[in-house]
Amino acid sequence: MANVSGSTYGLTTLSPIIEDNKLNLCHSMQIRWYLSQLPRDHRSPFAQLSSTYLARLVVMDDVVFVGHPACEEHLKSRYLLFETNFDGDLNTYLRRMATEAGEFVNAVWKHCVGFPGTDTVDAFITYMKTCQIETTFFFADVNDQTVESTLNALKTQAALAHFMEKHEGLPPADLQAAFGKFVERLHNAPPLPRGGDESRNIAQERRPHD
Amino acid sequence: MTNINGKAYAMNAITPMKPWKTPLLKLFFLVLGAVKPLQKDLKNLSFIHFARWVCIGRNAFPRLSDEQPTEELKYDYLLFISNFNGTWNQYIDAFSAVLYKGLDAIWLWSEKYPGSRPVTAFKRYISFVQFDTDYYYNAYPHSATNDVKAAIRVQSAFTKFAQTSQSLSPADFQEAWLSFQAAVSPDLGATGIAPIGT
Repeated sequence: MANVSGSTYGLTTLSPIIEDNKLNLCHSMQIRWYLSQLPRDHRSPFAQLSSTYLARLVVMDDVVFVGHPACEEHLKSRYLLFETNFDGDLNTYLRRMATEAGEFVNAVWKHCVGFPGTDTVDAFITYMKTCQIETTFFFADVNDQTVESTLNALKTQAALAHFMEKHEGLPPADLQAAFGKFVERLHNAPPLPRGGDESRNIAQERRPHD
Repeated sequence: MTNINGKAYAMNAITPMKPWKTPLLKLFFLVLGAVKPLQKDLKNLSFIHFARWVCIGRNAFPRLSDEQPTEELKYDYLLFISNFNGTWNQYIDAFSAVLYKGLDAIWLWSEKYPGSRPVTAFKRYISFVQFDTDYYYNAYPHSATNDVKAAIRVQSAFTKFAQTSQSLSPADFQEAWLSFQAAVSPDLGATGIAPIGT
């Protein structure tokens, strides 16, 4: 199945957006306004959906006319394009979307045709699967990890670099003792925040490691 | 800019294809998926987290209600979605320089595709068929694909070393530590915010 690469699932959905000419602000623009205010860091709803690597939402206004001699044609609806890459299976992910990020999901997809809400999780799953477009070819450069193991590895990498720099030249017995404490401290350290945090604005050399 | 989050760039592009060409493109993707060595250049470029091509049949746009107008399209569409590191120009340049054969095999079925070389015409085409992202989330915005791969190698070596090193004598630990340090040092580059570019 082309939606899957290793342990990574690539979901693509196209949800038709409601057209209502009586509104001052059309539904597609309301989606855009909402998304423009939505945090993209550790406060993002996708950070709650902890198995998400990368995700995007795009209002697709129309297809593209590439010029003559191609035919010019247009869509009759706008579509909300949702692309997400996550570890695990689709049903679990969609269920978590409904139960753990329901407010966000309702705020976005309420502007879409046929959206049943998230109160009935099975109905939401069925809706999303109806909107799903099968991926023809999916490429995942790293496809044998989880988001958690990746963040854990990034944490280890940063902390170890700092440890080596700080303990350069110690006598062997002291180094061994310090390393033992370091391993324990690293094990008990909190995970890196999904989506990054305010430290993204702090230069690397000024970031605390341990 | 909503196309960028940290070191990742979200690219979306859609191109029309005559419907009779779609099965041929799907066949190419089937081969590309089955014969892993064909993905070698894509893998070796090592700056794409995830990418996908999605063939959307002209009758396959979801219709969720009788009130929703039925699409009446002559073309099928090829949707390309990529999550890459670096700037747009670097990405397209690298595609044109390294993956031109593969790219041409994928997009030659699309209307008015000019070929990936020379790169100027290719860039004009891509910028024309690209559309912007409204919201982009990245679980590890400070880290490029190479950072992730390096961190995974470090984690693997670190776990082994931590398990075996504590029972060693200080002298043996010192020796093992130097070997460990030499092994992981190439993978300990700093991560952080991305440089500014276009």
